[in-house]
Amino acid sequence: MKLIKKRNTAAVDGTAGIGLGFKGEAVTRRTFMQRSGLAVGGTAIAGMAPFSMLRAEEGKDTAPKAGVETEIRRSICTHCSVGCGVMAEVQNGVWTGQEPDFESPINLGAHCAKGASVREHGHGEKRLKYPMKLTGGKWKRVSWDQAMDEIGDKILQIREESGPDALWMAGSSKASNEGSYLQRKFAAFWGSNNVDHQARICHSTTVAGVANTWGYGAMTNSYNDMHNAKAMLFVGSNAAEAHPVAMQHILRGKENGAKMIVVDPRRTRTAAHADQFIRLRPGSDVPFIHGLLWHIFENGWEDKEYIAQRVYGLDDIREEAKKFDPKTVEDLTGVPEQEMYQCAKTMAEHRPGTIVWCMGGTQHHIGNNNTRAYCILQLALGNIGVSGGGANIFRGHDNVQGATDVGPNCHTLPGYYGLSEGAWKHWARVWDVDYEWLKGRFDMSRKYDAGGGKMAYTMNIPGMPVSRWIDGILEDKDNLSQKDNVRAVIFQGHAVNSQTRGPDMKAALESPRLDLVVISDPYPTHLAVMSERKDGVYLLPTCTQFEQAGSVTASNRSLQWREKVVEPLFESKTDAEVLYLLAEKFGFADRMFKNIKMDGKMPNPEDTLREINRGTWTIGYTGQSPERLKMHMANRHTFNTTTLQAEGGPADGDYFGLPWPCWGDAEMKHPGTPILYDPSKPVAEGGLCFRARFGVERDGETLLAEGSYPQGSEIKDGHPEFTADMLKQLGWWDDLTAAEKQAAEGRNWKTDLSGGIQRVAIKHGAAPFGNAKARCVVWQFPDPVPIHREPLYTARYDLVSKYPTYEDRKAFWRLPTRYASVQAKDYSGDYPLVFISGRLVEYEGGGEETRSNPWLAELQQDMFVEINPADANDRNLKDAQWVWLEGPEGGRIKVMAMVTPRVGRGVIWTPFHFGGWFQGEDLVDRYPEGTAPYIRGEACNTATTYGYDSVTQMQETKATLCQITPA
Amino acid sequence: MARMKFLCDADRCIECNGCVTACKNENEVPWGVNRRRVVTLNDGEAGEKSISVACMHCTDAPCAAVCPVDCFYTTTDGIVLHDKDLCIGCGYCFYACPFGAPQYPQQEAFGVRGKMDKCTFCAGGPPADNSDDEYAKYGANRIAEGKLPACAEMCATKALIAGDGDLIADIYRKRVLKRGGRPDTWGWDAAYGDKV
Amino acid sequence: MKRMLAISLLIGLAAGLAGCYDEPGVTVYEPGVYKGDHDPLLDKMASEDHRETLQARFRTVQTDR
Repeated sequence: MKLIKKRNTAAVDGTAGIGLGFKGEAVTRRTFMQRSGLAVGGTAIAGMAPFSMLRAEEGKDTAPKAGVETEIRRSICTHCSVGCGVMAEVQNGVWTGQEPDFESPINLGAHCAKGASVREHGHGEKRLKYPMKLTGGKWKRVSWDQAMDEIGDKILQIREESGPDALWMAGSSKASNEGSYLQRKFAAFWGSNNVDHQARICHSTTVAGVANTWGYGAMTNSYNDMHNAKAMLFVGSNAAEAHPVAMQHILRGKENGAKMIVVDPRRTRTAAHADQFIRLRPGSDVPFIHGLLWHIFENGWEDKEYIAQRVYGLDDIREEAKKFDPKTVEDLTGVPEQEMYQCAKTMAEHRPGTIVWCMGGTQHHIGNNNTRAYCILQLALGNIGVSGGGANIFRGHDNVQGATDVGPNCHTLPGYYGLSEGAWKHWARVWDVDYEWLKGRFDMSRKYDAGGGKMAYTMNIPGMPVSRWIDGILEDKDNLSQKDNVRAVIFQGHAVNSQTRGPDMKAALESPRLDLVVISDPYPTHLAVMSERKDGVYLLPTCTQFEQAGSVTASNRSLQWREKVVEPLFESKTDAEVLYLLAEKFGFADRMFKNIKMDGKMPNPEDTLREINRGTWTIGYTGQSPERLKMHMANRHTFNTTTLQAEGGPADGDYFGLPWPCWGDAEMKHPGTPILYDPSKPVAEGGLCFRARFGVERDGETLLAEGSYPQGSEIKDGHPEFTADMLKQLGWWDDLTAAEKQAAEGRNWKTDLSGGIQRVAIKHGAAPFGNAKARCVVWQFPDPVPIHREPLYTARYDLVSKYPTYEDRKAFWRLPTRYASVQAKDYSGDYPLVFISGRLVEYEGGGEETRSNPWLAELQQDMFVEINPADANDRNLKDAQWVWLEGPEGGRIKVMAMVTPRVGRGVIWTPFHFGGWFQGEDLVDRYPEGTAPYIRGEACNTATTYGYDSVTQMQETKATLCQITPA
Repeated sequence: MARMKFLCDADRCIECNGCVTACKNENEVPWGVNRRRVVTLNDGEAGEKSISVACMHCTDAPCAAVCPVDCFYTTTDGIVLHDKDLCIGCGYCFYACPFGAPQYPQQEAFGVRGKMDKCTFCAGGPPADNSDDEYAKYGANRIAEGKLPACAEMCATKALIAGDGDLIADIYRKRVLKRGGRPDTWGWDAAYGDKV
Repeated sequence: MKRMLAISLLIGLAAGLAGCYDEPGVTVYEPGVYKGDHDPLLDKMASEDHRETLQARFRTVQTDR
């Protein structure tokens, strides 16, 4: 018998079973995987195509290769408004590596889970690969030409029959500035204002409330500036999950000694780092703020000098705040007196302090009251216009700030010019088209109800917002302020599972009134599968931001330039190219792209930005030329990470990304305005005052600033906004050059295309937009002084009689909008739980993009609802049990229960990123082959309800009701 | 010679999972294997703390001590690596490791263990540095390129730090001083309560 | 006689076969000693330069700038 020789080394059997996934990997769940310690059953594994196996089939290998030349491309993360730098390593056109961008002063190389996984965009396993058309319930591949022909013909036919307003379009906050600007321009040339984007359902109430308080509606300071704060108050903001890299700056501020107070119905991951956590009843932000002001006024903590010089109308607030004594506040908000006092004292004793708010405060039908209340708190404390203070509004998607500034808003043209005749004339000049021709593109057959008893043409009426597009289809057309129902919708880069009233949306999609649905997106999205529509849906594969160059505006108003990382994957085209093809079909491409060079069918991004520079004088998007932005990106290591100012180097003196307003043209070399309304610096160096936007006086009292002005201003007091006449009165007219005089004659700082008025005003140290007081009373709003009103669906029905909502409106943003009739019925008996929703760090927005990324999808595999142990016991629910969550309007979703004390009693919370299920049914079979995201789940908005802000039509998702029962 | 170490500053960790995905991205780790995980204590309650855990690269590594085929080795600066060609997938290192670092890529629902995979401190393995073979089996070798592990370099709040243990100690010391004895500092509550 | 011859041939054959078996040596197992291939990274790490590179990298990237 032969003995087998024992060898020193173990046998190596080829590559079988070696750890990195050459064979298919099944899903495994480890109990310590956070958030749901559940094992995935066999069916789930069967449904999931393992990442590595697909990779082998596709034949594309994205692993880095030794010995192959590597190019470095710089881009910016596509997932949130912090604007983290991304360094991409590309080999032979394949994105094979990702390095941290240490030189970026914004993130210093840091990423959250999403940013650390953006390389997956270069793989795109689950991407839409080619255009598709839904016929008889089946997806069929079509060519781009065929798709564009059919879509174009159908839309033209609809225009013929129903007018241009029958087309409704969603643009995108994830498009670059250039892409989103062209979306707005496209709608204008098409002849309708029916174009909107994610800002509507995100911070629209912020922009309206804040802009109407002191001039601009954007973040006043910056994430980096929070290093200088002495106190930070977070209301309805979960920065640890929504803006993780901002926490780097926040925690540095905390280490510098700042006190951190987090106010939220949930004990969030942000609250885990707070010095004080205050649990707030959802929807009671106004009582909370007035409660703080009560203590502030009671103790004389307000900044009297600041108020006398720079604030109008605070006495009216004093009157209102008197009603919010500690007992009332405790009843309304659930916060005891001691906690309120502690919070007010901390904010008063630690100045400058900053306030941060996000969706928790904005997504209410009184959102505009909430946002103004936050501003008023900061004005009372004298915290606006100082480093370390401010209203630090953390925006959402990566370019929601840019898209709001210059992109597809239904209520304004780019730059917040509005929709008046003057606004259209201004942009007609910038676009180099005849105003009459542009007017002729619109429905000029008759005037419609513009709300408040006024009649106007649709050209001057805000379009239907994205929160209400379904009502454009469902509502009786005689109730609409346009010719006909919406008959065609185009969704370019916008999810639908982020809008409320899922069952109504399904009905709208299945309605015979809707002839055409076009989805222009890298992924099919929940929209493609949520309804049982059988025909008339087109999928157009569109590029992500890594497949094109362009600029993006972060929440702190800095613009950053992205380089193209990889060529468009599969057959996808950029947003702008898709619009170009449509414009060609509709016959206005030549006019629309008159002054923009074409790279094939793609409008050149640099030229597009230059056009934005030529026209956007209101918010100072004029100095950020492509050249200056690229120079900043190349020298980003020279910028100080607290002040964001370059110290030496080619960008010396500039602020990173030239945060707007960057006044005048690029030649003027304004350094950008890092902190808004900060009079400690000259305007020429980034200083500012409050904007004179609301008139010079009211009821005999001046609205202009008294004794406060930017350093070095020759006008040592308040003054109105600059016009040509004002320059002449001041004797500064001759400072203009001859060319500037010609352009500026009869115009003002917003419409002078030469920029001369701005240049001369700044030369004399004065802000072009005037110098006024911030106002606490917005007389044009339904509630001039911010007051409390109970949510439309409230668990505290006893409070409705004292704090009722508004009257119903017949025509508001073209649609009938209900308030009192919704609140008339008490649902709190059958639906006792307050239903709120929010973000997870692993996913973004509607979630299709991130749930299709296996590295992220693995970390959050189930849609779930957080429920307090007491509420769970009341219903005999166990952790990880399937439950039905039903809303009062009939929508219901099947989710897993997560029993946790994170939410308070009587409140439940779900993430909103899931999609691909509808009322208990997994819609995986409705996705085109190979595009179903790895993880699907119920969209929480299938169960949410009616409720819209009284100024902006923001949806009320942060306070509604539901009931939970075992499934 | 200083040892390579990880430190996760629990006062800065926000459980963002950036480290987890950075590792998966950099090393193309398949679904089901997580070399690094974030552990949260008191989830949802007051005193919630998170910490990011991967292989601790122990000086006296239990995994190396128990391996029946001796496939582990430690570099001069303390990085514990192993040779997958030798590994027999017995799982004994998984028993021994107090941190659960060894992972096994599952083939089917009921687990046939494959070769053990674990955090390599982004130092690859035995094959030639930065070769395709090394990448396929072990992931990136950033140490050979003069870089530090991807997880720490990409940490959102600079909570997770990796590198020379002495330098890490310097940073952490500075942070503790800066935090100035606020209740955040570990042990402050125990020593001084919340009165100070 | 013939049988004895057959048996002795058989025994001879068996002995011969036994003798043909090759036993080159005894394998001694050393527990705790790494048995795998040599990692070229170890050579790189031995150099002072490499350590300084990593320290410089640390200073750039792992601190708050």
